[in-house]
Amino acid sequence: MVQPLSGQAIYVVLLRELKRYWRAKARVISSVAQSIFFLAIFGLGLGGFIGGFSGINYLSYMAPGVIGMGLLFGSVFSGVSIIFDRQFGFMKEMLVAPVSRTSIIVGKIIGGATTATIQGIILMIVAGVMGAFSLSLTFLIGTFTAIGAMLLITSGFVGLGVAIGSTLNDFHAFQLLSTFVMWPMFMLSGVFFPIDVAPLPLQVAMLCDPMFYGVELLRWCLLGNGSIILGPIGWLISLLVIILFNALMVSLGTLLFSRAQI
Amino acid sequence: MCRINTIEVKELTKIFEGKVKAVDGISFNVKKGEILGFLGPNGAGKTTTLNMLSTLLRPTSGTAKVNGHDVLSEPDAVRRSIGYVFQDTTLDIELTGRENLDFHGRLYDLERNIRQKRIKEVLELVQLTDRADNFVKTYSGGMKRRLEIARGLLHHPKVLFLDEPTLGLDPQTRRSIWEHILQLNQEKEVTIILTTHYTEEADYLCKHILIIDFGKVVVLDTPEKLKARLEGDVVTLLFRDPAAIESFRPIIENKDWISRINVIASGNNYAAISRMMQKKPKIPNYPIKEKIIPEMPSRIHENDIEQVQQNREQDTSNPHYKFKDDTCSKCLNLLVDNGGHRIPEIVKLAENAGVILESVELRKPTLDDVFLSVTGRNIREEEGSFMDMIRRHRIMQQARGRPSRG
Repeated sequence: MVQPLSGQAIYVVLLRELKRYWRAKARVISSVAQSIFFLAIFGLGLGGFIGGFSGINYLSYMAPGVIGMGLLFGSVFSGVSIIFDRQFGFMKEMLVAPVSRTSIIVGKIIGGATTATIQGIILMIVAGVMGAFSLSLTFLIGTFTAIGAMLLITSGFVGLGVAIGSTLNDFHAFQLLSTFVMWPMFMLSGVFFPIDVAPLPLQVAMLCDPMFYGVELLRWCLLGNGSIILGPIGWLISLLVIILFNALMVSLGTLLFSRAQI
Repeated sequence: MCRINTIEVKELTKIFEGKVKAVDGISFNVKKGEILGFLGPNGAGKTTTLNMLSTLLRPTSGTAKVNGHDVLSEPDAVRRSIGYVFQDTTLDIELTGRENLDFHGRLYDLERNIRQKRIKEVLELVQLTDRADNFVKTYSGGMKRRLEIARGLLHHPKVLFLDEPTLGLDPQTRRSIWEHILQLNQEKEVTIILTTHYTEEADYLCKHILIIDFGKVVVLDTPEKLKARLEGDVVTLLFRDPAAIESFRPIIENKDWISRINVIASGNNYAAISRMMQKKPKIPNYPIKEKIIPEMPSRIHENDIEQVQQNREQDTSNPHYKFKDDTCSKCLNLLVDNGGHRIPEIVKLAENAGVILESVELRKPTLDDVFLSVTGRNIREEEGSFMDMIRRHRIMQQARGRPSRG
């Protein structure tokens, strides 16, 4: 079912996401603080014990993963927030307007991806200040490709959030979602250890985690290398997987949302 | 005189999950510029009908046209023609009042200049101009309601759906919202369907009233004609001993000047209310977990206050008063020809039968009585039969956003 897209409707949903993000300072602060804790405690603490992997110190190794964490949680939650829109009635206001549901969801996805990417950029700066990256021209170019990668990664995950939010009606299911979807995806993304040192079953699980490719891609952008298992074209494989995941999730989210009743 | 139908509904039906008939083959037309009131108790199918007319719900069968557009084949055109003020608040409380309106204007593709002009207009209409830039979460219930009505008007809809527009509001706010609704209807010729379970609201606002119960149209007519159907006067009897209701009933049942006898909850009887207030009976436990706001008659005046005081005196002078909690709120409601002249006779009958009347009330029929006569129930009487309750509860659950997939 192809529905006409309305630029104005997309823009207005996007604008609302940005306004709400901007006003929810507590959310931004807590997410940044959480990432700082991860980087400071694990990165510096555990890093002092481990040292690093293949010539990269542990803090630098972890940084793309921690940025990925911010992206993952930010984007999935902003997609799932359609449950709240429904709970508090605002969804009806949008659904009864003469705009297609597709426009609403496209706006939601762009909005969610934008806010999660802003979050990611903040985390990138924080990690940089903590000394995770060596400043060079390649790194500067890398940050720009990283921002592109972030937008790509997050829009897929907002799509996933929308798909989940359209299926679940109960925001008590949030806890389950967090425990059984988000945390495994985060921990299997290769944030704490490289896939190459993991036992085979864990490697398989990691290869099935879309976030693993997201973190891979960020690591290529920011550090210029990736896992041994994916080899020198790891960035390309990751990019393709992310694009595929993105297309799937955006379609799934749109489909489930347009089917859901109020 | 012969104006076009703005809304045409034919055999509209909604069955939830293949079982629960929330709306059962209803048909009606609304002419341009008219106000139609859906009157019915909670769970009667009012909101479900509006949701179908506004394309939010797909009818199981039947058709409906709004402003000449079919709800099934031209949903976008329908949505462009309508404004919908929902029963529950649908504002974004994290945004300001103005932002909510702006958001709405953009969704309806209003150009910047027009948008700003109309936002100013509607804010003035509902007197929220000075609070427009505050966050909606700081608004009172009445202000939110007014903002929602303002929002529903922003895009100049041809048809406006108002779902319980004054539910839970204080009398002044309710009155001012009524005036806004009438003003709109007259100045802009907006066709309006409003749902309510306040009969006085329907009486005051609506040109036609459609009484809906268990998803079916029970009756559709003008308030005047509906009331004229009930010839005679309403006499309400409250007994000192509520058990007397059953013993007194057979005595009057065969009188040809009484056309109808009902036992009702005394929701509209002042003496009974004052007695309940003194006695502090257990507050009835509403098993339906919905926002039921027990409605006190808004027409209490000085006489009633006197009555309360009288009752209080009686009460202290006679400490042996006893009322069974479960029946103390019931009274007999009679439809009597020439009621004023029959009251002495009724009182005499009661005396002869040895039952003591606590109060006798005489009044002209209201829409409450019409509702009672066509459905057999008092509109505000939430404790109907047990099966009714279960059924209503289920219908409400289905209608309130528990989506059935597929």
